[in-house]
Amino acid sequence: MATQKSKTRTRKLPLKQRYSLLTRDLDWEPSYVERDELFPYTSYEGIKIHDWNGWEDPFRLTVDAYYKYQAEKDKRLYAVLDGFAQGQGHLSLSDASYLNALKIFIQGVTPLEYAAHRHFAFLARYLEGPAPRFASLCQSVDELRHCQTQIHTISNYNKYYGGFHSWTTQKDRVWYLSVPKSFFDDAMTAGPFEFLIAISFSFEYLLTNLLFVPFMSGASFNGDLPTMSFGFSAQSDESRHMTLGLEAIKFLLEQDEGNVPIIQEWIDKWFWRAYRVAALVAAMMDYMLPREVTSWKEAFELYFEDQMLGGLFPDLEFYGITPPKHVDLAISEKEHLSHQAYKILHNFSFAAAFTTQTPTAEKMEWLSSAYPESFDEYYRPTWEKHARIEADGGRSFVEGLPQLCQVCQIPMAFTEPDDPTRLSLRHSEYQGETFHTCSDGCQWIFEREPEKYIQAWLPVHQIYQGNCGGPSVPEVLEWYGLQEGDNGEYKGSPDARAWAEWHGEPATAQAKES
Amino acid sequence: MTVKALYEYDYPSADRAELYGDDQLVYVYWRGNLLFSSAGCFRVPRAVTFADFQEQFVDGWAASDPDFDAGAVGGWQLFDEPITPDPHKTLEQLGVGHKALLSFSA
Repeated sequence: MATQKSKTRTRKLPLKQRYSLLTRDLDWEPSYVERDELFPYTSYEGIKIHDWNGWEDPFRLTVDAYYKYQAEKDKRLYAVLDGFAQGQGHLSLSDASYLNALKIFIQGVTPLEYAAHRHFAFLARYLEGPAPRFASLCQSVDELRHCQTQIHTISNYNKYYGGFHSWTTQKDRVWYLSVPKSFFDDAMTAGPFEFLIAISFSFEYLLTNLLFVPFMSGASFNGDLPTMSFGFSAQSDESRHMTLGLEAIKFLLEQDEGNVPIIQEWIDKWFWRAYRVAALVAAMMDYMLPREVTSWKEAFELYFEDQMLGGLFPDLEFYGITPPKHVDLAISEKEHLSHQAYKILHNFSFAAAFTTQTPTAEKMEWLSSAYPESFDEYYRPTWEKHARIEADGGRSFVEGLPQLCQVCQIPMAFTEPDDPTRLSLRHSEYQGETFHTCSDGCQWIFEREPEKYIQAWLPVHQIYQGNCGGPSVPEVLEWYGLQEGDNGEYKGSPDARAWAEWHGEPATAQAKES
Repeated sequence: MTVKALYEYDYPSADRAELYGDDQLVYVYWRGNLLFSSAGCFRVPRAVTFADFQEQFVDGWAASDPDFDAGAVGGWQLFDEPITPDPHKTLEQLGVGHKALLSFSA
C-alpha cells in the first residue's frame, strides 16, 4: 500500500524536482574528514570556485530516464547491425578502400572513447559540486556506450577485411596512433579543470563537428549504414557533451576573474592540440573516401571559422576570452593540411594497419576543384610522379623512419605559412637537449611545459632504442600486430582482390581502373 | 612557466643522449623534394665519418625517390647554417650532435 502510494507520488513530481532530489539533494558536507582531503585536486591548478552550486545543470536527466532513452537507441542500432550483416551489406559499400577510413576510426578514435569514459568517472568522484559530478557520471557512461557500440558496429567488417583485428594492442604501439593517444594522455595527466577545457570544451565543443561529422557523413555517402547509425545514436549524447563543455567554461569564467587568464591559456593550448589531431581526419576526408562528402577546407570554414570564430567567440568576449592563439596559422593551413597529412600516410603505410593509394585521375580532378589555390601547383606534380613510378611497376614508400614532433607526435610534414614548399621546422633547447616541433603552435606548447613533453614516448625514437620488437622493419611490424595485407598499398592488396572477386571483376581490371 | 602539480615534478627526457650509447639520433631533410613528407630520422654512431654517414644512411633513404642521384647532393645545412662538411671528419668533429637536423639539396 505504502509502495503504491509513493509510486504514485513519484510519478507526479516534475522532472526538475526529481532531478534535484536525485543529484543535488544526495550531496552532503563531510564531517569526518576535511574538505581538502575529500577533494584534493580542485585547487592546485589555480582555479578558484566560490560557489559550486552556481553550476547550471545543462541537462536535467535522471538515471531512469537516461537508461530508458539509451536502451531505445541501442535497440535501433543493433537492429540495423543485424540487418546489415544478414544482407551482406558490406558488399554494397562504395569500395573496399572506404574501409581504410573506418580502420583509422576504430584504431584511433574508439580508444579515446574508452579513455574519456575512465576520466569522466574520475571527475564524477573528484569534482566538488553535485551537479558537475552527476553530469560527468552521465558522460562517463555515454563514453563507455560509444566505445562498445563502435566495437560492435565496426567489428562486423573484421570477418572480411584486414586491419580491424588488433586495434587494442595497436593503439599503444603503432606510430600514427600515438597522435590521438598522446593527445588524450596529455589531458588525463592534467588537473580536472584543464581536462574539462581540453576535452569538454576544446575537443567536444570547438572541434567535434570537424572530428566526427566527416566520418559519419562519409559513412552515409559510402554505403556504410551501421557506422552512420552509431553516429546518429551518439549524436544526441554529443549535444549533451557539448552543452557540458560550454557550461563548464562559463561556470569557471563566472566564478572568479583570476580564472580568465588560466582558461585562456588552456584554450590556446588545447585548440592547437585538438586541431593537430584533426590532421588525420583531414587526410581521411579528402583522400580516403571513394565518394567525397565535402572537403576539409569547406568543413573547416563552416564548422570552425563560421560557427566558432563567428558565433561562439564573440559571446565569450564578454568574459574577456579571445580566439585561440595560433588560430591564424590553422586558417592559413586549410589549403594544405590534408595533402600534407595524407602524404605522410602514403609515405609510411607499409608500417600502418591500413592501406593507401595514389589518388586516381578522377580524385585529382576533385581535389583540384576543391583546392584551386594549392592542389595543381603544389601537390598534383608529386602525385603524378607517384603514378609514373607505379606505371613502371614500382611503388614509392619512404625507406626509413620520419622525424616526429615532440608535442603532436605527427611526422614533421607541415610547411611555413608563406611557403608551402618549405617545412616548418622548429627546435628548442631544454636542459642541454634539442627538441623539435612542427609549428609555432606546438613549439609554444612545448616551451610552456617542457618538463611534461620531454617525457614523450615518440614511436620513432623508441624503435631506435630497441623497445619495439627489434631493430628491423619486419620485427617492428610483428610487434605492431600487423598481418599480411593490413598494410602497404591498396591496389593489389587482399582487400582489393577480394572485393574484385566478390563483384565479379578480374583483379587486374580493378587495379587498372584505380 | 612550469607544470603545476601536487608533488615535485621532475622526470628525465625519454630520448636523452645516454640512452643511445655510442650512437645518436640525426635528422636529415631533402629540401624542396615533396615526395618526402618529412625529414628522416637515423640512429648513427657519433664516430661515423660524414662520407660514411652519407653513403650508409642518407643515400638509401633518399633513393626512395627513384630519381635520386647521390652525385648531385650538396648545399648541406646544419639547422639553418650552411656548412661544407669534410667527408673524412666524424659527425662529432663536425659539431653534429644528438638530434641535430641536417638538410641538403639535390
